[in-house]
Amino acid sequence: MSLRHIWAITRKEFQHIFRDRSTLFLVLVTPTALLLLMAYALTVDIQNVPIAILDYDRSSLSRAFVQQITAGEDLDLYAQVNTLSDIEELIMHGEIKAALILSPTFSKDLLALNGMPLQVIIDGTEPESGSFAVDHIAWRAEEFINGAVASQIQAMGMQVDSLQPIDLRIRTWFNPSLKPRNDLIPGLISMVLGFPALSVALTLAHEREHGTLEQLMATPIGRADLLIGKMIPYIVVGLVNVIMIPLIAMAWFHIPFNGSFPLFFGLSAIFLFSILSIGIIVGVFMPTQAAALALSFLVIFFPGFFLTGIFFPIAAMPEIMRLESLGLPGTHYAFITRGVFLPGNGLDVLWPYAVMMAGLGFAFTAVAALFFKKKLG
Amino acid sequence: MIRRILALVKKEFIHLRNDWWMPAFMLFGGALELLLVGWATSRPMTNLPLMVWDQDKSAASRAVVTALENTGTFALEEQVSDMAAIEYGLDRGQINAAIIIPPDYSAEIASRNGEPHLAVILNGAESIPAKEALRAIEGVTRDIGEQIVIERLGMDPNTFAGFDFSLRVWFNEALSEALYTTPAELGLMLEFTVLLFAALSFSRERELGTLEQLLVMPFSSLEIMIGKSIPVILVGLFDFALMLSMVHLAFKVPVRGSLALLMILALGYLMVELAKGMVISVISRTQHQAFLLVMLIGMSDFMFTGYAAPVEAMPRAAQLFANIVPAHHWLSIVRGILLKGAGMDVLWPHVAALAAIGLVIGTFSWRFVRRNLD
Repeated sequence: MSLRHIWAITRKEFQHIFRDRSTLFLVLVTPTALLLLMAYALTVDIQNVPIAILDYDRSSLSRAFVQQITAGEDLDLYAQVNTLSDIEELIMHGEIKAALILSPTFSKDLLALNGMPLQVIIDGTEPESGSFAVDHIAWRAEEFINGAVASQIQAMGMQVDSLQPIDLRIRTWFNPSLKPRNDLIPGLISMVLGFPALSVALTLAHEREHGTLEQLMATPIGRADLLIGKMIPYIVVGLVNVIMIPLIAMAWFHIPFNGSFPLFFGLSAIFLFSILSIGIIVGVFMPTQAAALALSFLVIFFPGFFLTGIFFPIAAMPEIMRLESLGLPGTHYAFITRGVFLPGNGLDVLWPYAVMMAGLGFAFTAVAALFFKKKLG
Repeated sequence: MIRRILALVKKEFIHLRNDWWMPAFMLFGGALELLLVGWATSRPMTNLPLMVWDQDKSAASRAVVTALENTGTFALEEQVSDMAAIEYGLDRGQINAAIIIPPDYSAEIASRNGEPHLAVILNGAESIPAKEALRAIEGVTRDIGEQIVIERLGMDPNTFAGFDFSLRVWFNEALSEALYTTPAELGLMLEFTVLLFAALSFSRERELGTLEQLLVMPFSSLEIMIGKSIPVILVGLFDFALMLSMVHLAFKVPVRGSLALLMILALGYLMVELAKGMVISVISRTQHQAFLLVMLIGMSDFMFTGYAAPVEAMPRAAQLFANIVPAHHWLSIVRGILLKGAGMDVLWPHVAALAAIGLVIGTFSWRFVRRNLD
């Protein structure tokens, strides 16, 4: 290990990055641009889900029910239809996401406390809006029924205050309105910071493809020095994004940043080291840039998006996948970003994650250096 | 002309064979990863860690805990006996939710006009599981609440049995999560494969300096473009067939509509993506640039496939933009044919939109690439 050698490689790499302005621009801007885009597209509040209603009863009670269901911003009455085949048609064309069918005995059964002859149909091909519609129909239907049944029971001479005697007192910590944006944006930072790792994999493959790796190996620079020297510029590129992203998240999306920024910066540097070490492994093993591209997509981006617990909790994954998730630096970093933004965790909470990332980083770098030697020696 | 195109196609396949890592990763690696991701995430959310602080320790409070356990949503942590433990768990993100049963819970239930309450604390740092936890807890309290009312009024225990509405989920009666997620994941993988192959087609030759050689040979630019396109389309179609049969076998994603129609439309969709990839390919000087552009464009398209958020709920501008994203129409077609069994009579607006987009992008791409090659 020689600092002078590392610095020489780092300087050379910086020159590569700065020489080509369009690459420099893309490398610097891609992570932040992608995060902005995902923030806009993935974290919308669902509302105005179109539904259709088929009311066979046509009583004042059924009309009141329809009114109640569509009173809010959440569900939109797209059409009152007359036959089941209308519903089929509308769902087939994707015009509505759900439909309610009120049977001819709706008000009669309800007043006699026999039950609620209501059928709800949802479009099972729409992941989010379908379950959203079910939840909201259920809430409103329950409100309506509780009111109707309570007045009916009182009319029968019994005393009842409420049909839901249990009072659920809900408090939500760290993100009181449960806005997905507040935790998805910090979580997705771990995905977009995978880009510098790709760049480092490509530069190594690039040198091999162009035959300049031979020249580098002919210099007295050690293998590890070479790898570390290659990583440093991309860690710097990543850290520029680490500064930009929280600023945008706070100023533009009003996401609270409750933790310490220096801590976040330091832990991000550790994450960049560990994710870049995966990039280094890819670069060491792959003979061409095209191969390195394909492999980085498979080991950095796809798992970084789907398997790091940003959208689907790791606790609910099968055992083996949970283990794989722990081997991804992004899993630990996604916890750290959410922890720093929302609960404002300090090092006392986050240190195990930092240790895991650093450990993974050292292990991957060691593997890369070892095989780098073998492949060239 | 056909002979010369064939020669070019052969040349491309020789490249693919020499650098077999790349096609192997994109095709088989991609399909395998799709399988892994589908397996890991296409399931109901279970095992969410939940902490219980039972201050009442009565039969009624234990019934609440058992009911929560029976939902399958939760993995119960050890019972705790103070707030500090809950705070500790929440701060460290060890739990998604905590429930506190107050000491007067059973007494309130027993008294005729009692008002029992339960306190729930959700961990908002993970909003998606927190919502799932809340949904399960609300379901449990609703059921228990009904029973309390029935007992208080001395009614028949089955009084409210008929008050749950009957829910029918069309096209996905078994409520399989895989049917929701795998089409979008498959679409993402396919788009990236085709874009990547197309984007590398010219940028690679330019970077390695072989583009010059290709251009001085007696090929017209049309022949070069067709020669470059055919292998990409073949690879894309093969990839699609491979991944489709995998999700069909592994996750029981049905093919309710016409498979032939799906494959024909897939061919059309791939040509649109190919045209996009070609433009990326000629504007990128290096493969590195090409890849970054593919990632940016591919990910922005993925946002409009309905994976995490429905397009209808997006801001107006984003909805309008979705109409010119080929992947948006493609996913509607895929879901339509696979899950709804839809035919052209239903899908034609999407097919027409795709064709129109393809025409515009294709014309632009063709002129743009030709200008850059000549």
